[in-house]
Amino acid sequence: MRDFWRRYRRNKGAVLGLVILFLVILMAILAPVLFPGSPWDMVSAPFMPPGEMGLLLGSDSLGRDVAAGIAHGARISLLVGAVSTLAALLIGVTLGAVAGYLGGFADDAVMRFTEFFQTIPSFVLAILLVAIFNPSISSVVFAIAVVSWPPVARVVRAEFLSLRSREFVQAAEVLGKSRLSIVLTDILPNALSPIVVLASLMVATAILLESALSFLGLGDPNLMTWGFLIGAGRSVIRLAWWMSVFPGIAIFLTVLALNLVGEGLSDALNPRLARQRGAA
Amino acid sequence: MGQRETFRGEFGMTISRRGMLAGAAAMPVLMRVQDALAQGVTPRRGGTLTMMLTPEPPVLQLGVNNQAPTIAAATKIFQGLVTFSPKLEPIPVLAKSWTISPDGREYTFRLQENVKWHDGKPFTADDVVFSITKFHMELAPRARSVFSLIDSATAPDPHTVRFTLKRPFEPFLLMLDASTAAMVPKHLFDGQDYRTAPAVQRPIGTGPFRFTEWQRGNFIRMDRFEEYWKPGQPYLDAIIYRIVPDSQSRRLALETGQALLSQGNDIEPFDVPQLRQRPNLEVQTTGWEYFSPLSWIETNHRVKPLDDARVRQAISRAIDRNFIAQRLWFGIGKPATGPFASSTRFYDPNVKLPGYDPRAAQQLLDAAGLKPNAQGVRFSVKHLVLPYGEIWSRLSEYLRQSLSRVGIALELESTDAGSWSRRIANWEYETSVTFVYQYGDPTLGVERTYVSSNIQKVNFANTGGYSNTKVDELFAKGRNAADAKERQAAFSEVQKILVEEVPQIWLMEMTFPTIHDRKVRNAVTTGLGVHASYDDVFLAS
Amino acid sequence: MDPTKLIGFLLRRGLKAAIVVLAIVVCNFLLVHAAPGDPASVIAGQSGAADPLFLEQLRKQFGLDQPLYVQLWVYLKSVLTLDLGFSHRQQMPVASLILDRLPATLLLTGAAFVFAIVTGVTLGALAARRVGRWADSLITIIALTFYATPLFWVGLMLVLLFSVWLEWLPSFGMSSVGVELHGMAAVLDVAKHLLLPALTLGLFYLAVYARLTRATMLEVADQDFVKTARAKGVPEGRILRAHVLRNALLPVITFAGIQAGQLIGGSILVETVFAWPGIGRLAFDALLARDYPVLLGVFFCTSVMVVLFNLVTDLLYAVVDPRVEVSG
Repeated sequence: MRDFWRRYRRNKGAVLGLVILFLVILMAILAPVLFPGSPWDMVSAPFMPPGEMGLLLGSDSLGRDVAAGIAHGARISLLVGAVSTLAALLIGVTLGAVAGYLGGFADDAVMRFTEFFQTIPSFVLAILLVAIFNPSISSVVFAIAVVSWPPVARVVRAEFLSLRSREFVQAAEVLGKSRLSIVLTDILPNALSPIVVLASLMVATAILLESALSFLGLGDPNLMTWGFLIGAGRSVIRLAWWMSVFPGIAIFLTVLALNLVGEGLSDALNPRLARQRGAA
Repeated sequence: MGQRETFRGEFGMTISRRGMLAGAAAMPVLMRVQDALAQGVTPRRGGTLTMMLTPEPPVLQLGVNNQAPTIAAATKIFQGLVTFSPKLEPIPVLAKSWTISPDGREYTFRLQENVKWHDGKPFTADDVVFSITKFHMELAPRARSVFSLIDSATAPDPHTVRFTLKRPFEPFLLMLDASTAAMVPKHLFDGQDYRTAPAVQRPIGTGPFRFTEWQRGNFIRMDRFEEYWKPGQPYLDAIIYRIVPDSQSRRLALETGQALLSQGNDIEPFDVPQLRQRPNLEVQTTGWEYFSPLSWIETNHRVKPLDDARVRQAISRAIDRNFIAQRLWFGIGKPATGPFASSTRFYDPNVKLPGYDPRAAQQLLDAAGLKPNAQGVRFSVKHLVLPYGEIWSRLSEYLRQSLSRVGIALELESTDAGSWSRRIANWEYETSVTFVYQYGDPTLGVERTYVSSNIQKVNFANTGGYSNTKVDELFAKGRNAADAKERQAAFSEVQKILVEEVPQIWLMEMTFPTIHDRKVRNAVTTGLGVHASYDDVFLAS
Repeated sequence: MDPTKLIGFLLRRGLKAAIVVLAIVVCNFLLVHAAPGDPASVIAGQSGAADPLFLEQLRKQFGLDQPLYVQLWVYLKSVLTLDLGFSHRQQMPVASLILDRLPATLLLTGAAFVFAIVTGVTLGALAARRVGRWADSLITIIALTFYATPLFWVGLMLVLLFSVWLEWLPSFGMSSVGVELHGMAAVLDVAKHLLLPALTLGLFYLAVYARLTRATMLEVADQDFVKTARAKGVPEGRILRAHVLRNALLPVITFAGIQAGQLIGGSILVETVFAWPGIGRLAFDALLARDYPVLLGVFFCTSVMVVLFNLVTDLLYAVVDPRVEVSG
């Protein structure tokens, strides 16, 4: 574990990413303390520039505090990112494992299915799904999960394909272990590294997707998210540039942090994977 | 009854005018031209008026399509028998004059002579009979509901039409504006499927402008119809409607003069204050007296506790309508006072909704037995956001905050236009926001929301499910009475009851800004505003 | 490559592609019809008045009164004859509507694509060449920045900077409204309008290609055959061009292939922000209005394009790397 941190720390960008991420999570947790009440409360005159009337980042078209919106929005964005990624991982890992381990017909079927999914532009499919199921946080999470799983399946399949012919797996098979137990206890732990790296990147993409959906007005209308703030600010950009600028910076920093962390994880995890590959 | 007078206007036109309501003063017809003359401005002939249209209509054939942009543009091509002043007095258009029999059942119209269709054929009484009894009857729900009262329609001579109704229907004339019953050429539609007839793609009307070109997604062009029946008019050489999908682009087009006039939903309310500042632009909010859109919180009475009048009254008192009018709509429109808009006939100014009072709202909710729980919430109710623009989202957000202050938790749901429409029609909602046109008369536009006979699964009906036999009786009385005084009595009483029961929670009397360059004259002169034929519009130098 | 093998490959893949597209059409049809409401309800909601007969008439006109499987069958039949149906909302055949709007999207995504690949690969190669030095760090940071910012926000910021504050460039549309331009003036007008949207769309992909190029070049440069060439004394530039770049291009091509198919979907956001009259926005508006034929038509076109691009990518792969076998 200490080895891992040592390797991780070597990548300065990754450390920076971790720090930023930590700050964002902190802001999300402390939002009700820093900005008590609801971000939807109309606390001042509309279109106040940043700094006036005690509002750090200004107010929007209904006189709501932009800073409060960003802080509370962090919770939603992080939550949506995490949950949809988890769901996508569940689907992708299952399908990828089936394809990679079983091979043959199962592999073919899953691969055709994955390919088919990738022919529909993912963003368009997400919009369609949200429209079908009515925009709400659950439909947004569902839509993001559904369009995000194909890369996971491919990566997992590739890993399983290479790992299943390895000695320790063959040993387990000879020992008579059940297929499911082999997959879960032998192969999967060794395939984790690329999945973890992919996961951090997927959270970033999920946050971008969610903000795009909210921007287009397809987000949950009861939740103030960063994308919603930018969307609401878009038409009044000439009157109130701060409504669009600051939430975008928040998204940028969070997604950047996640990407840096993902890269750091990749660098830190790869030597171990390489060593394991060589050792077995 | 009524008088018959003849004017000879400046341009050698003979106009006759006729009063509709017994004893009501009729309006001088070419008042606007006389106004212009009084200001020392002679209408100048020439020039092209470039306007905008949002969104692009599917077709320009009135009847086949009655959506807002179609009506705005096609009323330059098509005309009705009459139109209406801002006070909803009738103004002759294709009907030169008319008489109504004393029992109110027989309407005889004398048509203008020398009126030609854009394809050169003459406009006759047969076209009128066809348009009203066949064309609009088949295509348009609103027309159907009134024109089914016509017992017989005859054309004794090419310039006279006589309608005999099964029973008196006092607001009958209000149905005869171009936006409701435009005159269409019988020779191009009779015997065909109206929706797919070739004339739909190349509309032929009697209006001052004839259809020239339509580049989808780009513009619609109409040129002066040289054989228009009013000599000397139209003053404009051509009208161009530019299709500009983005609201900021439209605003820029207006600022830079690429468009000389914007209407309806073209410009967002929050842009209007800045446009008012521009010295070369004029902002008008009149011209919506006929349609009089009224917005309200659409309430489904099948959902408890919305069936309790006290709860609805409480919701009504928890909302600051002045805030909505000033802050959300930037002063365009005014707070509603009840189920009738102030410009609708038989509006009773003595009947008003009680004002903004959150404390009173809380007391009403207490009285209804809805106590707040530990979090201060008395009950929660779902709310479907109207998907026709950002301003409606802001309104719903405002409603949520206002109602939360009195302990009502409003849970917003957003959908798109397709889902919204279907859910309202099928009663699959708890609350929503909507706006509905009044069409000038309570029988035409107001009654449909409150009578129990109209509880059906279709939009613009009594989707809320409100039922009150006294209200049904009063609306029936108002509908069937031939005498205006009787109707006023019935409608005053029904307004009192409705304001007490608040079956729908009225928010605003809406209007849409018409913003134009100052050199555009006569853009808004009638109660139909931009939905007029524009034969008298000109560009001053 | 053996011509008979190539033809065999094309035929096999072509057949597979056709089946895939057909499956996509069926799935899209079912998906699109799953959205609540239909074009009749949309129109009914906007007509100021409605009654059951009105809805019935509209549904009949749009062919929606038939059971779903009948509608599907009718649609499939027409698609097989390349008749994509008729849009009642726009009063145009879907095919001509799409052809009308497709050039705008192709122009936008083409410009963005070219910009992204050229600039991205160049920057990536530069970063790989000067790995560890400040140029590398700078380029990596720039790439990361554009990779992490939401597309629509970049667009908005560019509009804020160049249209609102500096007033150098127009903020919306493909051409100036109300002015009739011809020839060179028209071309320049479109170019002016194209700049910001193409830049917005391109910046994200630029980041992708820059990082990808840098990563693969570093990986390849480390490999044995390159080290051998270097030891043999082959000039660095030649090594770069002949060996490193060629091999590094493989993942770039793969990615570009996937991207090309995705560009239609990605253009929705940019087209919305800049009011660009392309098919991305067309699809979005069609969804809102439940204009099924248009929506399905756009999906059909995009899936055909993706499948085609996959085919082309595979072929390119075979050309660039002779070791890759052209198998079915």
